Amino acid sequence: MNGYNFAYLDEQTKRMIRRALLKAVAIPGYQVPFGGREMPMPYGWGTGGMQLTASILGGDDVLKVIDQGADDTTNAVSIRAFFERVAGVETTTATAAADVIQTRHRIPETPLEHDQILVFQVPIPEPLRFIEPSEQETRLMHALEEYGVMHVKLYEDIARYGHIATTYAYPVKVDGRYVMDPSPIPKFDNPKLDMSAALMLFGAGREKRLYAIPPYTRVESLDFEDHPFEIQQWDEHCALCGSDHSFLDEVITDDAGNRLFICSDTDYCLTRRGEVA
Amino acid sequence: MYVAVKGGEQAIANAHRLLADRRRGEREQAELSVEQIGGQLRLAVDRVMSEASLYDPELAALALKQASGDLVEAVFLLRAYRTTLPRLAVSEPLDTGTMRIERRISAAYKDIPGGQVLGPTYDYTHRLLDFMQLAEGETPEPARADAALARCPQILDLLNAEGLIEREHDDGSEPADITRDPPDYPVDRAARLQMLARGDEGYLLALGYSTQRGYGRNHPFAGEIRLGHVDVEIHVKEWDETICIGEIALSECQMINQFGGSREVAPQFTRGYGLAFGHNERKTLAMALVDRALRAEELGEPISGPAQQAEFVLAHADSVEASGFVSHLKLPHYVDFQSELELLRRLRKAHGNARGSGDAAMEDAV
Amino acid sequence: MLWPALTDPVHDSQRLFRQILQAMSEPGTLHELCAPCPPRDASIGPALWGALLTLCDLDTQLWIDPALDSPELRDALHFHTGCRLTQDATLADFALVTPDTLAREIDFAIGNDSYPDRGTTLLVAVEYLSDDGPWQFSGPGIETQRCLGVGNAHALMSRLSVNRSRFPCGLDAILACGTRLAAIPRSTRIVNRQQEDRACMSQ
Repeated sequence: MNGYNFAYLDEQTKRMIRRALLKAVAIPGYQVPFGGREMPMPYGWGTGGMQLTASILGGDDVLKVIDQGADDTTNAVSIRAFFERVAGVETTTATAAADVIQTRHRIPETPLEHDQILVFQVPIPEPLRFIEPSEQETRLMHALEEYGVMHVKLYEDIARYGHIATTYAYPVKVDGRYVMDPSPIPKFDNPKLDMSAALMLFGAGREKRLYAIPPYTRVESLDFEDHPFEIQQWDEHCALCGSDHSFLDEVITDDAGNRLFICSDTDYCLTRRGEVA
Repeated sequence: MYVAVKGGEQAIANAHRLLADRRRGEREQAELSVEQIGGQLRLAVDRVMSEASLYDPELAALALKQASGDLVEAVFLLRAYRTTLPRLAVSEPLDTGTMRIERRISAAYKDIPGGQVLGPTYDYTHRLLDFMQLAEGETPEPARADAALARCPQILDLLNAEGLIEREHDDGSEPADITRDPPDYPVDRAARLQMLARGDEGYLLALGYSTQRGYGRNHPFAGEIRLGHVDVEIHVKEWDETICIGEIALSECQMINQFGGSREVAPQFTRGYGLAFGHNERKTLAMALVDRALRAEELGEPISGPAQQAEFVLAHADSVEASGFVSHLKLPHYVDFQSELELLRRLRKAHGNARGSGDAAMEDAV
Repeated sequence: MLWPALTDPVHDSQRLFRQILQAMSEPGTLHELCAPCPPRDASIGPALWGALLTLCDLDTQLWIDPALDSPELRDALHFHTGCRLTQDATLADFALVTPDTLAREIDFAIGNDSYPDRGTTLLVAVEYLSDDGPWQFSGPGIETQRCLGVGNAHALMSRLSVNRSRFPCGLDAILACGTRLAAIPRSTRIVNRQQEDRACMSQ
């Protein structure tokens, strides 16, 4: 695109983000502050993920963008079109064909492979933020590895509801050290973080933080011996592909409140239907 | 079969075409020019420049036109453009003492050296709708002074000479640059003033107002408000010379606040400071109040009001960040919502079962 | 050209960065960098020169060990990256070193508990780099275990071995020999197999 550098960001900004990414990878789960820039899209709409994608993307890369698991939701379409325009890269909807996948709120159902990079859009990177709003305080808690408050919060849920009432953005501990927010993915996706073959990068543009989980890194979801971590389950199967093991979205089909369930991962669902058919 | 709402590229493109149509309005009407916006809606232009941190009246006017007059959207457009610009040079600190004055008032003294200059102000206008403007009446030429205003001394410097007001020291250190480095709380005053200068006017106004109503009161006097043009200079290393590269319009407010003092330091007035591009007087007053409120910890005052809590005030001042994150609620969240639905149904089922068995037990007892 | 640089700065630096990122994400893996030859008389190979061109700019401070320093290298770095050179290792974002540099008591930045990222990244010119060696790694980026040979680099490896005891503070290292590059971040657990074997035999 005329007037702008390859992938929009100028080279100095990319280098700043690249240096921060190396530190993020070296200290898994630690939130590295970075000089986040304004992007031509609103904060909160994926500017952090986009800055990371822009900094790592090359002309030969094939890019996939998903929002809520789907390739054709408005924001995914918009971000994909942005990179087609400013970087001229090839894009795909096929998880297996992508080198870089930018995502909001899901990890694809198809297991990621070595050499793939998953870039998460993160709204609030600080897992302790809703317990302690002050950045100065949460920074100290991470420094001292003082995570008791998080366990207290989860245990209060159990006392009140009999369950941990956190269903998405469920906190994890990375390589036994940092408690990390995996972004608002459903906790259904948390097990995919553990010992993943792919590199996972997390970008929070408005909050100006980035962090990473290298491939093959231990990632545990916080839990208790008497209340082990568990994921969502559905009694239904996907109405389109029949899957009984993927994350399902509920679709209301008429005024009477009838509903059906379909895979949130559109590529996974389409691929299965191709196989089934 | 019904499938979930899908947005296609075509839908987005159509939405943007419709937006352009609404922006243009009735085609029989003449199109609004960027020059007209710059010339006749200049206070909006100044506010957009200030909060976007980019001094370019023409592009700010363009942003206003493109945003159909939505100030927050226009600030965002200009800020997003600003971030792509290379940094060619760093200017010398601006000297507002050399300002070519267009307006300058002090509420602290009746008369001041150089005089009170009202300039172009809405103050003392009776807020009566002027129906002449509806009929597009002629505007008379303004009365102008014969001679340009001489350089006016700054009121706070006069107090400074007497030692009545705290001195500001330049320790020569490199100031933080909030456009390059994320805020590292607690931030120093230089970073704080930068954050306030690009902060949303309405937000700062409300916070400043709250200090006047007792939530962190600091007894302010508008020591001096000045508005005019200041030279921008850069130092050219190769020539070892400082050259003027142009001038910009600025508004500045220096607030005088109640004295502090301690066993070591004699009581003296303290300062709050506000600065903005263009004619942005209300913004600078609010900024000065909030700047002073945020000095509570430094001056050993009790922190009792929201305007005194630095991290709270500063982290939420930027309208580009705030409007982005609030409006992101419009994006699909159905995966997260589905997760909550699943849990809520499970909890309600468990609740029902517990109540059901409880009722049965009661009946057994009876 | 006297000071060889990247032919296509935008795309070459992207490609090199991705290799360095992968090296740092998967400690001990070897990567062949297609990078320009370093300035004449410089004692570093193309991989390290490529890393410098990719990572350094006006915003970074570089510390250079006298053993690797030369006027040509300085001129070329200044011209292509604009990075600032520092004598104070505690201020260095990057340090261009040999394994022996680490035998001396030089205080590189290791960050602090609140900001562990504010540490120096070592760019180490090694004389040997292969996947058969006595150093055995485990930790993030390594599925089970991985081995690396770095030649005679005991001072370096023992310095990096103590990283874990200070984690999250520590030093991250990018090692290069000729066109070959590997990385050892602070998260890596390092043991020397030969020493382990000897310890086993003596028991």
